[in-house]
Amino acid sequence: MPDSAVEEKVIATLASVKRIPVEQIKLDSSLLDLGVDSLDTFTLLFELESKFNISIPDDEARTIRTVSDIVAGVQRILDANKDGSTLGSTTAPAS
Amino acid sequence: MADRRVAITGVGIICAAGANVAEAWGSIQQGVASIGPITSVDSSLIRFQNGAEVRNYDPSQYFEGSRADHLDRFAQFAVIAAREAVADAGIYFTPTLQENTAVVCGNGGGGQITQDSGYIDLYQRARSRVHPLIVPRTMASGGVSHVTMEFGIHGPSYAVSTACSSSNHAIGQAFQMVRRGEVDLAITGGSEAPFAMGCLKAWEAMRVIAPDTCRPFCVDRRGMILGEGAGMMVLEPLEAARARGAKIYAELAGFGMSADAHHITQPTVEGPARAIRRALADANLATEQISYINAHGTATPGNDPAETAAIREVFGPRADRLGVSSTKSMHGHALGAAGSIEAVVTIMSLHDGILPPTANFTKADPACDLDYIPNAPRKSRPEAALSNSFAFGGLNAVLAFRAAP
Repeated sequence: MPDSAVEEKVIATLASVKRIPVEQIKLDSSLLDLGVDSLDTFTLLFELESKFNISIPDDEARTIRTVSDIVAGVQRILDANKDGSTLGSTTAPAS
Repeated sequence: MADRRVAITGVGIICAAGANVAEAWGSIQQGVASIGPITSVDSSLIRFQNGAEVRNYDPSQYFEGSRADHLDRFAQFAVIAAREAVADAGIYFTPTLQENTAVVCGNGGGGQITQDSGYIDLYQRARSRVHPLIVPRTMASGGVSHVTMEFGIHGPSYAVSTACSSSNHAIGQAFQMVRRGEVDLAITGGSEAPFAMGCLKAWEAMRVIAPDTCRPFCVDRRGMILGEGAGMMVLEPLEAARARGAKIYAELAGFGMSADAHHITQPTVEGPARAIRRALADANLATEQISYINAHGTATPGNDPAETAAIREVFGPRADRLGVSSTKSMHGHALGAAGSIEAVVTIMSLHDGILPPTANFTKADPACDLDYIPNAPRKSRPEAALSNSFAFGGLNAVLAFRAAP
C-alpha cells in the first residue's frame, strides 16, 4: 500500500475514533494537541489493527506522540509483514 | 461506645507465591518472584505470556464431592484463605459469635472463568444452553456467601468492588464495624481469579501488561504482571483478643479513602496523597512513626511516578527514611485481591521484623526516587506501616497498621 493511502486511512480512523473532522488532523499534529488521551490511543490502535490486519506491539505503541509516528509505525509493520518478518505478527516472543 | 482498638489474630493466603501464609510469606520475604509462563489458557494467542498463577491447584484437595462445582475459582480462593485465617486465629464459633461476626471481601471482576466458559459454550460451540450454575458462580459476592456458609456466620456480610482497591476498601469496612462495636469479629480480605481468555484479552487490549516481568519503579519497567489468589484476616477487638490469650499479629489502626475525580485510568498525585493522609489521621499516627509502605507499585508508566510523588507530598523530607516496596513484583497484580494479599504481607512484615523487597529491580526511574528495598529483604522493626491500593477510576484506599502492642 502506498504511503498516502496509509496516511489517509490512519487519519480517517483517528477522526472517527475522536469524532473530529478529518481536516483538523495534520501529519505533524501531536496527539496531545488533538486531545487524544491514553484511552483514545488504545481505541485508535485497536481500530488500526483491525483495519490494516496487523498487530501493534505494546513497546511500539508507547513511543507514539504524533500522527506521523502512527503512519510511520503502521507502514513499518506492513512492510515487515510483506518481507515475512515476524514483527507485528499476532504473537510476541516469550521472554 | 468508645472506639475499640482492632487486632489481627489470624491470616490466610493463597497466591502464586504459595498456598498458605508460611509458604507465601517465606517466599516473598526472600524476594522470590513467582512469575512464569501462563498455563491456565493458551497464551500463544495473547501478546503477553507471563503471569503469577496459583500453580498445581487442585480444587478437590479443598472441596469434597461436587462442592467445588458451586464455586468459581475466585470464590474457592476466598474460602481457602478464610479457613486458614480462622484456624490460625483459633476461633471457636458459638451461636452468639456467629450472630456477631461480619464477612466483607473485595473482588473486582466476579467469576470470570465461569463467565468465559459460558460464552464459549454459547458463542463458540453454538450450544443452545449454558451451565445452570453460571449465575451463582459469577456473582462477585459469591466468595462472601461461601465464607459465611463455611462457618455459619449470620452477621453483616457483603462484597466490595472498587477494581484494584477492592480488598483495601473491604478490609477498611470490616475494620470500622469492629472498631465501632457493631460486630465482635470480622473475616475480611479479598480474592480474584482473572486467568480466563476473555479477561486476558481485555488486559492485552489495554496495553498495560509487561511481556517479560514486573519491575516496579524501574526505568525499564514495561507494565504489570497479572496475579490471582486471596488474602484473608481475622479482626477482633484488641481487648477481647488479649482476654482469650490470642496471638496478635498486628493492630489495624486506621483506614483512609479518597476519589481522584479525574480519569478512568490515569492516576493523580493528590488523590492517593489524600487517602494516605486520611489513613494516618484515622490511625492517629505521625509520618515519623511510619517506616515501611507496601506500595501499590503496579509497574505501569502511570502509577509508579504518581505514587512516588504522593508519598513525597505527604511525608516531605521524611520520605527518604521510608522503605517502600512493591511485592507485586513477586505475586503479581491480583487486582481485587491485591490489597488483601499485600495487607497480609504487611502484617507479616511487622510481625517478623522483615521488610520484603521489590524483586526484579534493575535501575530506578529518575521520576521514582525513594528507597524501594531493591531485591534483598531488610531486617527492621517498624513501629507502623501502610499498605496502599489505588484503582483505575481513581478510587484510593490505604490501610495503616501498628506493630502488635
